[in-house]
Amino acid sequence: MTDLTRDAIQTRLQACTSKEATFKELVSLSKQLERLTDADKTEENRVKGCESAVWLIEHQDNGVCTFQADSDAKLMRGVLMVILSLVNGHSKAELQQRDLVAELSQFNLSSYLTSSRTNGVLSVLKKVQN
Amino acid sequence: MAFDANTLRAQFPILQLEANDHPLVYLDNAATTQKPQAVLDALMAYYTTSNANVHRGAHYLSDRATAQFEHARDRVARFINAADSNHVIWTKGTTEAINLVAYGLEWCLKPDDEILITSLEHHANLVPWQQLAFRTGARLRVLPLTSKGEWEPEYERYFNDHTRIFACTQISNAIGVKTPIKEMLAAAKAVKAFTLVDGAQAVAHYPVDVQDLDCDFYVFSGHKMYGPTGIGVLYGKPHALEVLTPVQTGGEMVRHVTYNSTEFNVLPYRLEAGTPNIEGVIGMTAACDFLANQDRTAMIEWEQKLARYVYDELKFNTSIEIYSPATDTTVVSLSVPGIHTLDLNGYLDSQGVAVRAGSHCAHPLMAQLGVSSTLRASFACYNTLSEARRFCDVLIEAIEILGDD
Repeated sequence: MTDLTRDAIQTRLQACTSKEATFKELVSLSKQLERLTDADKTEENRVKGCESAVWLIEHQDNGVCTFQADSDAKLMRGVLMVILSLVNGHSKAELQQRDLVAELSQFNLSSYLTSSRTNGVLSVLKKVQN
Repeated sequence: MAFDANTLRAQFPILQLEANDHPLVYLDNAATTQKPQAVLDALMAYYTTSNANVHRGAHYLSDRATAQFEHARDRVARFINAADSNHVIWTKGTTEAINLVAYGLEWCLKPDDEILITSLEHHANLVPWQQLAFRTGARLRVLPLTSKGEWEPEYERYFNDHTRIFACTQISNAIGVKTPIKEMLAAAKAVKAFTLVDGAQAVAHYPVDVQDLDCDFYVFSGHKMYGPTGIGVLYGKPHALEVLTPVQTGGEMVRHVTYNSTEFNVLPYRLEAGTPNIEGVIGMTAACDFLANQDRTAMIEWEQKLARYVYDELKFNTSIEIYSPATDTTVVSLSVPGIHTLDLNGYLDSQGVAVRAGSHCAHPLMAQLGVSSTLRASFACYNTLSEARRFCDVLIEAIEILGDD
């Protein structure tokens, strides 16, 4: 993970006034995502229900959750950066109480979270909360 | 008749739209075509002047609706050169038509029988047969056509005494290649198999003659030939339609009902239970008229010219793999190794270019091609050379933006 905070990412995405700008911002964000090794891209870590291949790994340390995620698609890696900024560093109980879908909707991504892709994102959020 | 795509475009209101702050470039025609004003007018006219249930007679509007409904059946029969309009069954689309046949022929299959399809099928012409095989113990066999749609003499062995049903697409939806349909149908008929042709990708482009094809069943969707969504056709030879068990029963498809028995109606009504999609059916008349009013030869030449332009522009680009044939197609299906098709699609969409990224409901074919998905640009009569050029330019931009790490 990088030092990009949720607020910084939100500011950058909210400044995008066109789909092209959002696209380029997501591509830019994707480059900062720490990639998983092939060994971590297991079937068990795979998130089902995504159009692209997505993997999510959870670590817990003293009750604090840290997630790593990766995808074979760049736009999805950009979206994963957004999600990780929302969910890393919190306890499971806290994550389960939050409305992550509502929080994600504040990132000006609606045109990218089309139904099929939203379903994929929802699968990621569900896996984070489980 | 002169053919001019720029003039024709004016008949399609939606093509004037902007998408994501750019002029819309609609190249997802293999998924669905846009609708000309005449089709939109027909739908509106039905509701403003003729809306009533059909085949119930008894009043002015019902007579009008029924007349237009049956006129559409005649029109579609003529469009595909069926011998009789009673050989046309209305369905909600290609998928439903195939399912009607797959369930309707269940009675004739037993273990050891074979259902033969090809490796170029859409899931709609695969899963119904696979499930039919599961239900009956029959075997699903797959004729391995290459991505060039090549037919090998050795394929004759796939047609044998066990082959009960042969179902094949006329044109691959995923890569746009034509199949050697006539040779295959001849082989299927030689072993007395029922034959079904999936014409979903053919009807918008090529004149269809079901009597010349001489297949038992021919299926297609209205929305892929400039007609409404939710309406499709199951054409069948009379002997083939007669032996189909009705999958759906209820109103309209019966003659007389008691608590102990039902006498079914004659064809085509026997296979059309319930109130049909009347607006969709009536819209089909306008869609057939629209196509009949074009110079079909010039139209398909134009569509193929657009696909050929894209093919020629991209074929020497070493980062692009093209899976469609160079000629005789209206589709360019491609991938860029190392870049996800969804990412390419995302950039194209941001520039107003609508294409399709995905497996195109053809997972086994994708596996055969060695990819998980392709990017497919598919052309229709209203597309222009400048749109084809724009697709190429934006695709190259996308590769530059997405390929730099």
